[in-house]
Amino acid sequence: MEIMAPAGSYESLMAAIQAGANSIYFGVEQLNMRTRSSNNFTIDDLKKISSICKEHNVKSYLTLNTIVYDHDISLMKNIVDAVKQNEIDAIIASDHAVMNYAKKNGVKIHISTQSNVTNIDTVEFYAEYADVMVLARELTLSQTSALVSAIKKRHIKGPSGELVRIEIFAHGALCMAISGKCYLSLHSNNASANRGACIQNCRKSYIVTDKEDGVELEIDNEYIMSAKDLCTIDFLDKINETGISILKIEGRGRSADYVYNVTKCYREAVDSLNDKTYTKEKINDWKDRLATVYNRGFWDGYYLGKKIGEWSNEYGSQATKRKVYVGKGVKYYEEAGVAEFLIESQTLQNGDEIIITGPTTGFIQTIIDEMRIKDKAAAKAVKGENITFLLNNKIRPSDKLYKIVAS
Amino acid sequence: MIRIIYQREKCIGCNACTEASKFRWRLSRKDGKSILIDSIKKRNFHIAIAGDDEWEANKTAAENCPVKIIKLEKV
Repeated sequence: MEIMAPAGSYESLMAAIQAGANSIYFGVEQLNMRTRSSNNFTIDDLKKISSICKEHNVKSYLTLNTIVYDHDISLMKNIVDAVKQNEIDAIIASDHAVMNYAKKNGVKIHISTQSNVTNIDTVEFYAEYADVMVLARELTLSQTSALVSAIKKRHIKGPSGELVRIEIFAHGALCMAISGKCYLSLHSNNASANRGACIQNCRKSYIVTDKEDGVELEIDNEYIMSAKDLCTIDFLDKINETGISILKIEGRGRSADYVYNVTKCYREAVDSLNDKTYTKEKINDWKDRLATVYNRGFWDGYYLGKKIGEWSNEYGSQATKRKVYVGKGVKYYEEAGVAEFLIESQTLQNGDEIIITGPTTGFIQTIIDEMRIKDKAAAKAVKGENITFLLNNKIRPSDKLYKIVAS
Repeated sequence: MIRIIYQREKCIGCNACTEASKFRWRLSRKDGKSILIDSIKKRNFHIAIAGDDEWEANKTAAENCPVKIIKLEKV
């Protein structure tokens, strides 16, 4: 199984690569499903993204999976042309206009989960266009397994001549509607989820009131529409048995530390499946680590065929740890292996767990043990002070320094 | 007179403003984003001065904009 990680920024891109992703996906301009929430790239970024991915032997995929109107066609074509020119490996599409244009121009296609592939005849239909298909997130593992077997049995091959490969979502936020096909946000704020502008009404708490007598219904869990986040790390063995090829991690709106942590856990889990060391102890460790970054509580999605209704009972994240901004990078002294940072907020002490993220640096996590201020050993640093400490990795002025604290 | 201020960079090309006022807004066939007709560009803002009769339609445009990048002022 391959791991495909989200890259909503250069920081996350580098973090995904460092954590061992086989491929990354990202969006540009306004035709992707994270137009609102992610710091989107533009067409001009394709060249750099492509070269970073090639350098690290990671495949790159561009999401172009919103609803497309007539006035979007030119932009869509420009994006597909740029994908071809910059040798991005494929586009992730859901609209037929996109598939048609990409196919005509020899650009590889993945069928997005927004196309809601739920049966083998649809797989056969899209096989004219795509070698990889992301299934609808609402299928169970037995349905998934049957689809993969049927692809083999019916020899359904994509344009490359190889059997169609199936990709599923492994981790991250789930939509309360069928994969993005939701109009809540449009109704309340005229902001269509299907144009990447979702304002996430489902994540808020609501009170149900009887209009006739004004009586408010008491609901145990006020977050009646907020699905918990998908987590599959504890049944990856079962997922592996279905024969799917690619595990996708959701989160183009997430930070570099989230992408690093989640990708790393799934990387280790897939590796342990491959060398047959996938154990309960390891699963517990991964689950603990996954809980340290943004999450709304975990559930196993629709895969195990259980009754739906795993709703989050809190607003926002239930992460066990959070990061607070401390300062920015100043300089790295290569010969000495020393990093210098300027403290801009909070304080820092020896023993603090820190993370450093940056567009080129990606993600570094470590513990400060011997901090120096003006070349003298110091136990604590406050705002305005420049600190130095030993670090194996190079840091840059574009990097941000955070400390990790318990939530 | 009214002043319409539009932050074009953040437009997601949803078509809401053009539906509110075809007279003042149209969608670019080039990049799929909305164009504020007869506007001048100052830094990241596109600004147009229009008659009071355009207030209602553009108020609807501003209200319906999902990314809230249209502002109206009386001048």
